[in-house]
Amino acid sequence: MDKEYKILEHPSDVRVQAFGKTKEELFLNAMKGMNEVLKPKILDKKSENRKIKVKSVDLNALLVDFLSEVLYRIQTNKEVYNEVRFTKFSDTELEGELIGNKVESFGEDIKAVTYHGLKIIQGKKGLYKATVLFDV
Amino acid sequence: MQKSDFKKINDWLWEVEKTERMNVPARIYVSEKMLDKVFKDRSVEQLINTASLPGIINYSMAMPDIHEGYGFPIGGVAAMDSENGVISPGGVGYDINCGMKLLKSELSEKDISPYLDKLALEMQKEVPSGLGKGRQTKLSIDNLDKILKYGAKRLVEQGYGEDEDIKNCESNGFIEQADPLAVFEHAKNRGRDQVGTLGSGNHFLEVQKVDEILDQEIAQKFGLFKNQVVVMIHTGSRGLGHQIATDYIQVMMKAMPKYDINLPDRELACVPFKSKEGQRYFSAMSAGANYAWANRQMIAHYIRKAWKEILGEKTKLIAIYDVAHNIAKLEKYKVYGKEMELVVHRKGATRAFPEQPVLIPGSMGTASYVLVGTEQGKDAWYSTCHGAGRTMSRSAATRSLSGQEIINQLKAKGILVKCYSMRGIAEEAPQAYKNIDEVVEVVHQAGLSKKVARLVPLAVIKGE
Repeated sequence: MDKEYKILEHPSDVRVQAFGKTKEELFLNAMKGMNEVLKPKILDKKSENRKIKVKSVDLNALLVDFLSEVLYRIQTNKEVYNEVRFTKFSDTELEGELIGNKVESFGEDIKAVTYHGLKIIQGKKGLYKATVLFDV
Repeated sequence: MQKSDFKKINDWLWEVEKTERMNVPARIYVSEKMLDKVFKDRSVEQLINTASLPGIINYSMAMPDIHEGYGFPIGGVAAMDSENGVISPGGVGYDINCGMKLLKSELSEKDISPYLDKLALEMQKEVPSGLGKGRQTKLSIDNLDKILKYGAKRLVEQGYGEDEDIKNCESNGFIEQADPLAVFEHAKNRGRDQVGTLGSGNHFLEVQKVDEILDQEIAQKFGLFKNQVVVMIHTGSRGLGHQIATDYIQVMMKAMPKYDINLPDRELACVPFKSKEGQRYFSAMSAGANYAWANRQMIAHYIRKAWKEILGEKTKLIAIYDVAHNIAKLEKYKVYGKEMELVVHRKGATRAFPEQPVLIPGSMGTASYVLVGTEQGKDAWYSTCHGAGRTMSRSAATRSLSGQEIINQLKAKGILVKCYSMRGIAEEAPQAYKNIDEVVEVVHQAGLSKKVARLVPLAVIKGE
């Protein structure tokens, strides 16, 4: 299976490097990386669906703003989402549905998703790559 | 960047001269020995970037606990002209008004040692700590708005503290310019059940004793004596503050092009202080700061409840002081011969007005300090350090250290630890931080703040 994301070192916070064959896949894998940082304990198997809509200045900001919105839902709904189905996706706007489960507790807290050092790049083989820094 | 780029001003202060892309020079308060280590991360580069902010006055500065943050380095201080300078959320941090509160008792270590374990357990029970742990009751939006507007003052009015708590608090526990309407719904939803909660990471409650008095006269003024038991609280504005920062960084990134601001680092997102967005951020940030003061006030209330439960009705815990180390304040200074109003950003730096108590936490199980602000500190806009600063990443700490071993090491030193998570302990191990004694020595020698007392922990209560 292709690598979805990697957790990287940072002196005081946590960095997730995400990969994707498409931009949408990059966004999904960044979200999965964020979930791994949070270390959620799933409560039950019942599926929870949440609509999501985000607008930003450019693709880099869109990724951060998407993750921030997901983080907000995670913390206020006490849920975690392992799937996202996009109905709309451009460099400055996305719309879709988050699918996940209720959470009993989290192993780690993320205070915020930051723009620090963020740049989405596309490698030679067309693979998208981005590193996101989380304030923990 | 390397050491040779720095000019030595004195044994405790180094400067990088202004280059084309900087508006002002950059300065670090640090010893020569510590200077060798600051190049390990990007903190110096960040300090240089900060010097390019529009309207910055005199210097971009960093304290000896400098380490890499985003935008501003942590330990960063920068003041901008409020008339034509900018305000930057990166210069405040995501945890708006993360800060310290210190309470003193009339008891000494030997009075408390038979009860210490019960006391620590009761404190842990009364103050929810750890991620996503809120209180049972969710505040109504109306109640929350009052807290956002009046901070600790609101809580004292409702009976959760004494007038002395407000008097012995930075800005009397609230910033006037706070506007609950500037705080978006997302932030309010995150804040409704978190007043009176500790959070996780490096936040903590500690029962400490005064280990050493370093300035007899000031210690007496503050009401401190050797072996006295005190309680230290380290926490901030929780999810509400983090969300305000996230929301306004987004707002500013969209607004920046219209102000023609181009910066070397996106996290330095900023707008003119006098702009619509700048004013709204300042009002929202102030509301977040008020929330944090209310949070520490509520925690103090529950600690007092725990103490009465274990030690009896007569015990008293009196506030020495409460001070922020992630905040932007409007302060007046005489600059270039005229009085100017400056937006002073202190990110991982503590205000230290002359004669004001300064509270510096160590890392877990190590010493903390009470200092006092000095007139000489004016050179740094009356600012000083905020703590030890990390040297090891969280993942490196959990890989190389075991939570249980650390608890055993602390127990061997006579320190009790109450924490729900072993991994949390390993991440916050003292080995992962700089040496607090060295950091405090620099600010003391540089004259930014003077040592008054050294405190050591008896019991540590932490979130996960």
